[in-house]
Amino acid sequence: MAAGGTKSWLGAPLLRPRVAFFELTSCGGCQLQVLNHEGTLLDFLSLVEVTDFREAMTERSHEYDIAFVEGCVSRSDEVARLRQIRRNARTLVALGSCACFGGVPRMKNRFPDPGLLAREIYGEYPMATETVRALDEIVPVDLKVHGCPFPKEELEKVVLHIALGKAIETPRHPICFECKANGNVCLFDLGELCLGPVTRGGCSAWCPGNRFGCWGCRGPADDANLDSLRAIAKEHGFSGEDLADRLECFGGFTPREAPEPSPRRKSRKRGTR
Amino acid sequence: MLFRVFDQGELPILFSALTARHEVIGPVEAGVDRHGKPFYAFEPATDFRALRLAYTTTKLPAKRYFLPCREDLATFRTSGSDWSKTVEYNVDRPRVFFGLHACDINALNKLDKVLTGGDYPMPWYAAKRRNMFIVGVDCEPQPSCFCRSMGADTALSGFDLFLTGIGDRYFAEILSNNAYNLLRGIRAVEPGEEEHVLYRRAVAEKTRKYTARVDTTDLTKILDMEFESPVWKSWGEKCLSCGSCAAVCPTCYCYGVEETVDIDLSVARKTKTLYSCNLVDFAQVAGGHNFRPESHSRLKYRYYHKHRGFVEAYEESLCTGCGRCGETCLAGINVPDVIASVRGEGGA
Amino acid sequence: MTRERTPDMEIPFVDVAGSPFRPPRRNDFAAFEYTYKAEVTRVHTLTAMETLYEIQLLDPEERRRFSFSPGQFVMLEVPGIGEAPFSISSSPLRRGAVELCIRKAGSLTTYLTKVPRGIRVGIRGPFGTAFPMERMHGENVLLIAGGLGLAPLRSAICYVQENRSRFQAVDIVYGAKEPSQLLFSYMYEAWRQDDIDLSIIVEKAGPLWKGPRGLITKRLKEILADRDHAECARNMYAIVCGPPVMFQYVCDQLNVYGIPMQKMFVSLERRMHCGMGKCCRCNVGSTYTCLKGPVFDYWTVLNLPEAI
Ligand SMILES: Cc1cc2nc3c(=O)[nH]c(=O)nc-3n(C[C@H](O)[C@H](O)[C@H](O)COP(=O)(O)OP(=O)(O)OC[C@H]3O[C@@H](n4cnc5c(N)ncnc54)[C@H](O)[C@@H]3O)c2cc1C
Ligand code: SF4
Ligand code: SF4
Ligand code: SF4
Ligand code: SF4
Ligand code: SF4
Ligand code: FES
Repeated sequence: MAAGGTKSWLGAPLLRPRVAFFELTSCGGCQLQVLNHEGTLLDFLSLVEVTDFREAMTERSHEYDIAFVEGCVSRSDEVARLRQIRRNARTLVALGSCACFGGVPRMKNRFPDPGLLAREIYGEYPMATETVRALDEIVPVDLKVHGCPFPKEELEKVVLHIALGKAIETPRHPICFECKANGNVCLFDLGELCLGPVTRGGCSAWCPGNRFGCWGCRGPADDANLDSLRAIAKEHGFSGEDLADRLECFGGFTPREAPEPSPRRKSRKRGTR
Repeated sequence: MLFRVFDQGELPILFSALTARHEVIGPVEAGVDRHGKPFYAFEPATDFRALRLAYTTTKLPAKRYFLPCREDLATFRTSGSDWSKTVEYNVDRPRVFFGLHACDINALNKLDKVLTGGDYPMPWYAAKRRNMFIVGVDCEPQPSCFCRSMGADTALSGFDLFLTGIGDRYFAEILSNNAYNLLRGIRAVEPGEEEHVLYRRAVAEKTRKYTARVDTTDLTKILDMEFESPVWKSWGEKCLSCGSCAAVCPTCYCYGVEETVDIDLSVARKTKTLYSCNLVDFAQVAGGHNFRPESHSRLKYRYYHKHRGFVEAYEESLCTGCGRCGETCLAGINVPDVIASVRGEGGA
Repeated sequence: MTRERTPDMEIPFVDVAGSPFRPPRRNDFAAFEYTYKAEVTRVHTLTAMETLYEIQLLDPEERRRFSFSPGQFVMLEVPGIGEAPFSISSSPLRRGAVELCIRKAGSLTTYLTKVPRGIRVGIRGPFGTAFPMERMHGENVLLIAGGLGLAPLRSAICYVQENRSRFQAVDIVYGAKEPSQLLFSYMYEAWRQDDIDLSIIVEKAGPLWKGPRGLITKRLKEILADRDHAECARNMYAIVCGPPVMFQYVCDQLNVYGIPMQKMFVSLERRMHCGMGKCCRCNVGSTYTCLKGPVFDYWTVLNLPEAI
């Protein structure tokens, strides 16, 4: 670490990206997770320059290098906002399951009459809500930080890797591997349902570690074998509905809309050095 | 080999002699499964009464004590553009394993071949392995056990002391000076002809109880012949590519390496994580090319490594027949069925 | 009574740790993570994707000891960033220094494109099998590369240059997608001067390109057409470096012209994390590329399941 505030690694100064955080439709849990860094918060903040929220929303581009966007898109004003963010940011990071695939709010899409649902939730003051969509159904997304909430280590890693100029890899395999590595006994053996075999790893098997079946908040693993899980669940006495409900909960396993075409900007590449 | 016989009542004395000075790992009950059957785990034990020496195969092997899932191979400290690398083998004291079955001792022997042999022995494993004291115990074959087919039903080496129950006594095999010293502290006598007979009877009884078996005749050749066999595809359709089978296998040792920098930029680490050849990116290289993109090709490779490559190199397979992988696999993929199907005996 | 019966159990602690920077011998525990500290002394941009790095060991004693053969590879490490295998591209005569021709592909390789000269790196190795250059003495040699395959081949070319009188006719056939992707173009003149017949062939090119276009195999046909099959079989060796589809195609054709499969050598590339036969990531079928390879003769490769 070099003196004078500029940090370096092996003699090379680190990139200090300007970052901005945005919230669309979400529960705020992910934002808590950003602040929930306890011992490492200061180190985390010293790697980046957090841009003021309003300043970040001005028309001038390149006010920030990285936009972290949490929440899904459920209103037309959010669509416009997201497009603006995309234009201004070199790197757009979808933060948490809502941003990555719609999250819990996506379940709303199941109800045929959105107006009815809106009245039920918002009472006499209905808000104009559309179908819930993930960020990448509207604009191209450069990186996804999965989970509801995402593990804070994953966000730290993203920021650190950008500062160091390293590529960012998310685990591609299912949760089971980490679950077994942690010494857990499989919940199927204990008579419970678990989505671990098809869900993307990286959470260190939080839920199964606490004897709580996985609900798939991190979305599908690469090459997830859903057919096989269906057969397994059936064999273990769980109804197809039990499984379907779970798969739908966080939106990760729900079929997606194709992203709207939008020209990829060249300059964005520089955001990750 | 030296033999002794002693009363089962003497065993707690041996145990407490070991716990007095050392960390002792042994089988304990870890819970009850959905069928109401107890299951077991290797945990540090201080109380002899907590031990379950009549345990059935633990769900997870004792591997985490000598091949941990995650281990730092090296740490780096930097100053300016310079750095220094420190390699730690992460072991500072011996450890006692009290009550390993023959298959798990053989698993260590197999790991020894690859990890402590060759031009580049692996020091993190070797350091732990050389500081073990192992007491083996006999076992009762379970429906999933096929160690006899793999030649791993008895341990000939790799332990200090091995105990076989003969009535209310133990028939003890002594392999090390340490074990000999240990036995001097209790009332143990040399076995006579009568005890020899009892021992042979106990072994014969165990042998009769095997139900699962694997035909390993010409297996390396058959695996080559059946490389394109359709049975691989049908097993692959079931496989979840979850890697559970490797995580619970006492002999799987492959790994990945990742270099990371701590968030406060104080140190960098080179960390080894055990991996599984069933995981989707096992053979993926930079740029995205994957040498085994389909789940069946990865599952096939698992069998290739265990039952062909390792046999070619060491004249024994990298499988003890402990049956853990088959028990843990939610998709029901297990060694006896897979090999039988590859041999054309019974479908996938 | 009980006192007398309580055994005293001491297990001696075996410390396998040596000093981490003790010079390693094979079969020595310290050999595993033994890292030569080295410095990037020269950075030479070859194309938009590939850069040549000259890397020199820092310790004079280690410089003297470090030697390799063409075809072998090293593991290059930057603390905190990553470690990866790279074929050595330079002459085996230069002790204590290697040149690596590196394509930007992932974490480490991208990082390397940005580092200033002078950065300190770690080198482990050299590992793996080499091209059997000595066996080729007195014979005709065909050196064939496609794309980045020239990286490992260049070391063999250096060897041939330095021992030119020991070889009969030497041909290099090098193919790339387009002229801008040609590697080591500043060396071509020197190769020709050493009586090496160099053919460069590109798949696509603009009007400025004067050389031949097409695939390597086209040029090979021309070279081999006027040679006698029996003679080829007797005194011709080939080294073929490139992607599997390329070397398979080329080797099969060379075989048609009579070169035996055991006299053709190829270099395989697989994911690698240790270079020492422990991580299993490099396995082809069940053969360790890092120990039994990366250089294999073509006959062996054809008999490896999964190789092609
Ligand atoms: C014997 C051999 C010789 C090679 N020679 C050269 C060369 O001369 N020039 C060159 O540009 N490239 C060469 N490669 C490929 C080079 O190793 C990869 O480009 C490099 O590993 C990418 O590392 P990364 O950290 O940038 O990528 P990441 O995707 O971040 O990779 C992470 C890790 O995965 C492993 N890995 C990923 N891709 C490969 C791969 N293709 N091969 C082996 N390991 C991989 C490495 O351990 C790497 O550190 C060679 C590979 C092998 C096996
Ligand atoms: S509890 Fe869930 S995540 Fe863990 S091994 Fe079982 S299925 Fe996999
Ligand atoms: S176990 Fe499943 S539900 Fe729990 S945090 Fe991980 S991905 Fe989310
Ligand atoms: S064989 Fe079974 S345990 Fe192994 S990866 Fe496939 S599904 Fe998982
Ligand atoms: S492959 Fe299966 S049966 Fe064989 S040792 Fe591993 S876990 Fe046991
Ligand atoms: S069988 Fe697969 S998981 Fe097991 S050691 Fe071999 S490569 Fe690794
Ligand atoms: S690179 Fe690790 S075994 Fe070959």
